[in-house]
Parts: sequence; structure tokens; C-alpha cells
Amino acid sequence: MLLYGYGLVCMSMLAFNIVYLFGLKKKNTRLEKSQDRFAAKVNCQLERIQNGQPVENRHMSYLRRRLTHVGNLIAFDKLLTERLEGKHNAAASEYLRQIQPLILYLAVVYRDRSDMQAAFYCYFLSKHREKRHMAVDTVQDILVGFMDKESLYCRVNALQALYRFGDPEHIAAAVSLLDQKGRFFHEKLLTDGLLTFTGDHGRLIALLLEQFDGFSNLTKLAILNYIRFQSGDYCPWMMGILEDSGSDKELRLAAVRYFGRYIYEPAKPALIALTVDKDPLRWEYASVAASSLAGYKGDDVVDALMAAVYSSNWYVRGNAAASLDAHHLSYADLAEIMGGNDRYVREMMMYYLELRSITQESREATS
Amino acid sequence: MREILQTFLNISGGFFVCYMVGYASFLFLSVTVGSASLYGAKRRNLLKNELTRDYYVPVSVIVPAHNESVTIEATIRSLLTLHYRAYEIIVVDDGSTDDTARIVQEAFHMIRVNRPIRRRLPCQMTEAVYETRSCSVPLTLIRKRNGGKADALNMGINASRYPYFLCMDADSVLQYDSLEKIVRPVLEDDSVVAVGGAVRPCNGAEIQDGRVIRYRMPRQILACMQVLEYDRSFLATRILFDKFNGSIIISGAFGLFKKSVVIDAGGYNASTVGEDMELVMKLHVFCRDHGIPYRIRYATEAICWTQVPEKLSDLCKQRRRWHIGLFQSMTYHRKMITDFKYGLIGLISYCYFLLYELLSPYIEIFGVLTMGLALAIGYLNVPFMIMYMGIYVAYSAILSLTAFFARVHTIDLKLSLGDVVKAVGLCVLEVSCLRFVMAWVRVTALKGYSKRKLSWGQIERKQINFNSSGEKRT
Repeated sequence: MLLYGYGLVCMSMLAFNIVYLFGLKKKNTRLEKSQDRFAAKVNCQLERIQNGQPVENRHMSYLRRRLTHVGNLIAFDKLLTERLEGKHNAAASEYLRQIQPLILYLAVVYRDRSDMQAAFYCYFLSKHREKRHMAVDTVQDILVGFMDKESLYCRVNALQALYRFGDPEHIAAAVSLLDQKGRFFHEKLLTDGLLTFTGDHGRLIALLLEQFDGFSNLTKLAILNYIRFQSGDYCPWMMGILEDSGSDKELRLAAVRYFGRYIYEPAKPALIALTVDKDPLRWEYASVAASSLAGYKGDDVVDALMAAVYSSNWYVRGNAAASLDAHHLSYADLAEIMGGNDRYVREMMMYYLELRSITQESREATS
Repeated sequence: MREILQTFLNISGGFFVCYMVGYASFLFLSVTVGSASLYGAKRRNLLKNELTRDYYVPVSVIVPAHNESVTIEATIRSLLTLHYRAYEIIVVDDGSTDDTARIVQEAFHMIRVNRPIRRRLPCQMTEAVYETRSCSVPLTLIRKRNGGKADALNMGINASRYPYFLCMDADSVLQYDSLEKIVRPVLEDDSVVAVGGAVRPCNGAEIQDGRVIRYRMPRQILACMQVLEYDRSFLATRILFDKFNGSIIISGAFGLFKKSVVIDAGGYNASTVGEDMELVMKLHVFCRDHGIPYRIRYATEAICWTQVPEKLSDLCKQRRRWHIGLFQSMTYHRKMITDFKYGLIGLISYCYFLLYELLSPYIEIFGVLTMGLALAIGYLNVPFMIMYMGIYVAYSAILSLTAFFARVHTIDLKLSLGDVVKAVGLCVLEVSCLRFVMAWVRVTALKGYSKRKLSWGQIERKQINFNSSGEKRT
């Protein structure tokens, strides 16, 4: 009995293997065939475009019927990618422009599909969205609605498509909905995504800041990091976060980093105060502030860094030494450290000086 | 006496039936779930349900090396060609007696620096630190006193600058997109503290700039059989266990870890040769004991190509080391099986490794001896035994092939007809011969344990041949 059981399991595994392999092969063949069919039709339209004629309505109806099936949409995506990269890419671009209404129409179709299919449609839209074509609010509203989807990929792809539309109002709405729903969305996904936004960043930042207080700390952090990489025009506003001792630690640290990237003289006293703060519980502030002071000039900055380099905290010491090195002080200026008794401080400083010379040598060798 | 022997054989027979049914059921379930997961992942990729962009999660790649002069340069060059935004490479030369350090210094124009390293994890003393800025990513070489692989990894963690670190072997090659893919689980779930990647034998594959440009089954029979074995074991334990956060091993050849959690847990244990498994078990224990929400994930699409031994003696050395490591890790964390706090990890993962990995060679050898005894007293039904063995071999071979083809197809490797024939033929040999040889090796692994327990174990390396240039472009 047992042997028969084993044999049955063997056979079922074998069948499983074979069915899967054949299924896979069949799917690939179907995809290739579908791509060939689209290629024949699209080539005709490309010829028409090259002859100065528009895409036929019949072709649009054909696409409207066929592209509601996700397998066909995959094949069509592959074909468009090939054609846009190929030798007739000017005609292909024009073709893409003319079929934009159809691509946007598909949003309504894929809105009610599974998360996986909706995610693919968003990917398709973000890839083949024609910049010159006017944005359609209905489509963007649908994409904003995708922020409620369970699937992370669907939300990420929908955001990608929205970034490509370049409409700040809809992005702000999407971020707001994403935050309200409270589903995990790594702040790096949001920060890096916002940086790819193709519209007016100034307007987007203004809209995000309008709602800023209502966001969770994770979303706030992502927005602050986005602003840091995007614009130096928000120093006074960032100053408010830096000085607000009741604000979340990560947010204040993001503000400190902001002032490391953009030199803002009114922030200098606050940065110096954080750097020389010896409270071991606030070592993170001291460490990041010491790093941010690298770009600030003045004896008060050097004095603060000279003091911080003696910190008992490894990171504060290291960042202060790196910032001192960035001030290009002479060996004589650093005599107190280099000739001092504190071996840990001396070694750290020495290392950054060595690093500077290695970097210089490398630059000289490559130039 | 004969009656006693017969009773003994009856009990043994019952035990073996239960043991085999358990193993067969587990293997069936795991290969089915594993294959389905792989095909599901392929469909998700086809529908672009993936994080396709390269997000900013800086990673320190740590390469521990001990007498790796043959492969180290090629390994570093392959690392320099990875498609990833922010990473550094730290090579830790663990007291090599060959030219490992000199080769790295000369090949990458490294300069000695007095870099202070914060010793947050215990490790042997630093002898020298070298750095270079002439490569496309920061590269650091640390020469230290010999202390074993775990010790070298601890040194690498101490010297690393980024919040995540990736450990790998000096004889391995990471696929060009492996970093991007191994980081994805971290972006999908903030509680992920470790991610294991897929390790595949590279013997026979032609790799250029981290891409497989031609794949063939290895020429050597032994390497070929290991390809099948790797695929089966990865599919069997990694994917199924991943479903319930039950992975208790991440290969030392390719794993990503959250540095802060590893440091808090105490880092790698330098008193074991199975440091990779021990660390993962330690992370489970640490996170559960401290009520930290955590996930240990497995990234099937992140691929690392590694050289597998082509000589039987080398393979035996490797497997002996693995078995000692397994024994040490299971012994250190034996409370996992008795404390209900560990849930399914103790109940399924630990029990599986105990019964079907650690004790299996002893059980298998005991089985062979029992058959001999039964044959001697004329109690063995030979036709039944042959049929039973035949079905066992066919069953295992089919599962091996299922795993092999699932893996090959889902990473889009093209196989020639010759390779398919080779795989089909050798899977039978692997199950019926190699498995028993390895069982014997593992049975004897613990002999002389105290002498060998910290040894790196030297295995003959071959030059990894691929064209790449990691030098900074001018």
C-alpha cells in the first residue's frame, strides 16, 4: 500500500513538472504570437504615420478590444519598447502620442482587475505615457485610488505613473491617501520616487508642506529627505523643525542634514550648540551636526569641531575629524590634536588626513 | 536470539517507514511549494510586480579571505561591476599564508592607512588597513591575525560604514543585479533583519561582468551532481521555511544582514565553523527573547555563483565542515526545540534539521546495517527491498529534477539537450550513490572534532574566468 502511495506521489510530481514546463512553453509561445500579431498591425500604422496619415479608428478599436487582456498588454508593451528603441522611433513616438486616449481609457478597465494586473497597467502607463499629451484627471484619480490597494507593487507602480503625469495636486493627494491608510511604505521608496517627479517640484513641495502636520512621522521623514535632495529654498522652514525640541528625533536630524547640504548662516549657532553638547543621550545630534558643519566657515566652527573631536563618542569624534579635514587646516593648526596625548583623537585625525591625500592622488592619476 | 533480532528488525522497520514517509511528505510539500513560489515569482516579474528601480539602501559587502590568492582578484573585480547605487567592499584577509593581501594591494593600487576601527564585535587584532580611491566604489583591505571565518566577518562588520552588510565567500561571484534584488525584501518590510540569497554552482557557467553569458552543466560528474543537490536543498528548506519565517540558515556565501541587530545579538560566533547558521539561529533567539518584531527572508532572485568542489576529497572536507557547523549550531541553540516561545521554528525548522540533516547520516548508515543483518538472518524480502529502494531512488530523483528545472526555468537559463540528459542521468546517481558517500562522510565528521572545529579547511580553487574591469573610468 505504502509503495503504491509512493508511486502515486512520484507520478504526480512528474506530472506537475511536465505540466508546468509545457504551460510555461505555451505561455511564451502565446506571448510571441501575440507580439507578432500586434507587430503586423502596428507596422501598418507606422507606415501610415510616415506618409502623414493618422492612426486608423479601426486600429484603435482593435487595440481597445485586445488590450483589455493583460497577456496582450504585456506583448504590446514589449513591442512598443522595441519600436521606440528601433530605427523608426520618430514614427513610433507619434504613434504612441496618437494612441494616448486608448492607453488612458485602459485605466478604467484595469481599475477593477486584480492588484497584480492593475500594477502592470500602472507600469505600462508610466513607461508609455506621452509627456506632450494633456493629463486626464479621471485617470489620475484612479491612480490615486490605487494607494488603497493591498499590493505594495501596485502602489509603487501607480505612484511611478503619477510622477510621470507631473501633476503636483494628484501626487499630494496620493501621498496623503497613502499616509492615511497606514500600510507600510518604506520612506526610501517615497523619497526616491518623489525625486523622479517630472512636474513642478516647488508646487509639489508647497502642497506637501500644507498637509505636513497631519502626516505620520515616517511620511514626514520621507518628505524632508525629498526636500533635502531637491531644493535649498526651505532653510527658514527647516530651521523651525531644527529648533523645535518637541519634534521627533529623526525629523530634527533630517533638518540638521539639510543644513549640511545647504549652508545657512542662521543655522550655524544651533549646529554648533548641538555639536558641542556633551550629553551622551544626544550623541546622534552631535554626530550629525558635526558632519553638517563641514561646509561652514569661521573660527567658532573650528573651535566647536576641535572640541567635538575629543568626544567620548566614536561617531561624534569621527565626524568632527572629517569636518575638520574638510576645512583644509594645516598641520600646524592641528598641532594640538596631532601632538596631544589622546591617541584615539590623533589616530582619527591622522586617518582623515591620509584619506585626503589618497583621494588627491587618485584624482591626479585619473585627470 | 532469533526472535529478539526479529523484534528488533520489526521495530526498526516501523521506524524507517515512519522516517521515510515523513521525509517523503516533507520533500513533496517543500518542492511543490518551492516550485509554485518560483513560478509565482516569475509571473509577478512578468507583470512587473517588483521594485524595478535601484533604491538607496547602502550596503557594505564583506569578503573574508584566507589563502584565496587564486580567486580573490576576480572576485573583487566582479564586485566592482555590480549594478547598485551605494556600496563599499571590505576584504578581510584572515592571516593568509599565501599572497592574498599582496595581490589585492597591487591589483587595486591600495595604500596603507592608519584607519581606526571601532571594535564593537570581538575579533583578532588588525595588522594593517589599506584603502584605495581608484576604484568605482570604496574598497578596503584589512589584514588581521588568523581567527577563522567568523572572526574575519566580525572584523568586516566593525569596519563597515553602512547600516546593512552582505557577507560572501571569496570564491564566489555575485550576479550583476544581486544586490538590488537582495535588498528588495528590506524595502518591502521594515522588520526584515536578514535576507538569504540563492547560491548556484558556477562550474561550467561562463560569467562576464556578473552576467551568465553561457550556462552549461559542469563537465565533472561530481560538480554536476552538486548542481542538482544545491537546487533541491534550496527549494526544499529555504522557500518553504520562508513562508512561516522559519529559515534557520542563510548561506555564508550570500546573505544580507541589518548591522545594528547583528551587533546587538553579539555578531558571529568565532567558536563555530557553522557561523552562518549559528548567526541566523541567534537572530531568531535574540529577537524573540527581546520581543523585537522581525522577519528573516529568502530572496530567490538574488543569485550568487559559487565554485563547488570538483574533487571528492575536497567535497568530503567541505561536508565535514558543514556537518560540524550544523552540530555546533544545533547544540548552541537546543532550547529552540524545548521552548514553545520559538513556535514553528522549533517545531518544524529545528526538528527538520535535527532529524533529516544532523541525524540522517547515522540513521541511514544504521538502516544499511539493519538490512545487512536482516539479510544475514534471512529475514529480508529482497524483491520488496529492491522495489522499495527503486521507488525511493525514482522519487528522490524526480524531486531533484523538479527542483532543478524549476530553478533553471525561472532564472531563464537555457539548457542544451545534452545537459538535460546529463541532469536526468546523474540525478539517479546522486540519490543512489553520492548521498550514501556523503552520509558516511557526515557520520565520521565529528571524529577529531575538537581539532578541526575552527579550521577554514582548504579546498582547491580554480581561477574564476570572466572579463570585467572595476577600475574607475576616466
